[in-house]
Amino acid sequence: MGSDVILVIVVVTALAFDFTNGFHDTANAIATSVSTRAMSPRFAVAMSAVLNFAGAFISLKVAATVGSGIVDSAAVTTTVVFAGLIGAIAWNLATWWAGLPSSSSHALIGGLIGSAFAASGPSAINVDGIVETVLVPAAVAPLLAFVVAASTIGVIYRMVGSLRPGPVNRGYRLGQIVSGSMFSLAHGTNDAQKTMGIITLALIAHGNLPANSFDVPVWVIVSSATAIALGTYIGGWRIIRTVGSRIIKMDPAQGFAAQGAGAAVVLTASHLGFPLSTTHVISGGVMGAGAAKRLSAVRWGVAGNIAFAWILTLPAAAIIGAAVYGMCSAFGSGALGPLVVALGLVALLIAVLVRRFAQQRVAAAQ
Amino acid sequence: MIAAIDVGKLFELVWAAALAGIAVGVCFSLVIIGVVRAEDCRRNRRSGSATAYAALSVVAAIAFLGIAVFGIVVITAK
Repeated sequence: MGSDVILVIVVVTALAFDFTNGFHDTANAIATSVSTRAMSPRFAVAMSAVLNFAGAFISLKVAATVGSGIVDSAAVTTTVVFAGLIGAIAWNLATWWAGLPSSSSHALIGGLIGSAFAASGPSAINVDGIVETVLVPAAVAPLLAFVVAASTIGVIYRMVGSLRPGPVNRGYRLGQIVSGSMFSLAHGTNDAQKTMGIITLALIAHGNLPANSFDVPVWVIVSSATAIALGTYIGGWRIIRTVGSRIIKMDPAQGFAAQGAGAAVVLTASHLGFPLSTTHVISGGVMGAGAAKRLSAVRWGVAGNIAFAWILTLPAAAIIGAAVYGMCSAFGSGALGPLVVALGLVALLIAVLVRRFAQQRVAAAQ
Repeated sequence: MIAAIDVGKLFELVWAAALAGIAVGVCFSLVIIGVVRAEDCRRNRRSGSATAYAALSVVAAIAFLGIAVFGIVVITAK
């Protein structure tokens, strides 16, 4: 009975993470398109949500690799997964509140590292795996996207600089629909599968699925695809504003260069088996497209805040994951700990929402 | 820790991504150049040039769509 309760809590928490992943990362695909008016905000989030949903059904290979090579699989229990997910959700919500784009995948990895460390000590952590899967891609992705987007916009301005701006802008807006769609599809394929992988691991650990094969049940695929699509449709508008207009004020050619170069970098990396964060790539691409026109066009203060959030993502999610694991352990090894923590977090969220609603009513009355 | 970094793959990623990114930008820019110039030529009654620019935009559009389809293949094969 107790393990059934933990399983239900882990599944619900994993879907909640998937939802935050969707609304946190909506900006990656649509921020530049909305900013340059290539698409209306409502159309952009709807298109991105549909493509994220479709992308989740395309392949299941990523689902089988969640957490592998980073934490010792023997150290992964349902409570470790729960604590890791809470670490990732908390960091996603904090960065969304601050309007900062950060990698949901790195937050998830950080949360799992922290909770596994708290459960089994340093021997549960594979440092080489962290370097290869997190640190090197985190350094490469924004720099590469910056250089490629800067080179691309340089070439674009040389090619179309003498043409009438009206049709040129309309053309690049159309191009952004294609590049934005590619980003959304790639995001759905990649990120929804992480949730599928986590739920499937929990089902295997609970004995609902055989351990010798990694078959993702259909209900897991459908629920994960739905959660990420709903999150995408809700849209993390604070982050969309940051990526779309606070880093640089971009024209349609810059938006296309950032998004097109970003999609090319993500897909090339994917093809070579070198997974990069779409958040890091699009942010680097936007900065590159702005800096190539004029260095002072980039608001480097905003860019610095974003880079700082990236550096903090892994340790912050790890600390929260470890703390949540510690809280759960204080109630013993059964379902009581995760249940108390989950109910406490739901109560906290409701309190924040009620307070915000009350503040809005007061402001409206004044 | 250094052993965890595959330098060869990293170098391949850098040049291949740069090439792909610039190719996307160039192909789509050629589509726009072809369409805009063809329209200008038609207005000035230069039908030969208009046809040539229209052909350029069609070829560039096919190349751009080819890159997009390759991208989808990469996504689905992941």
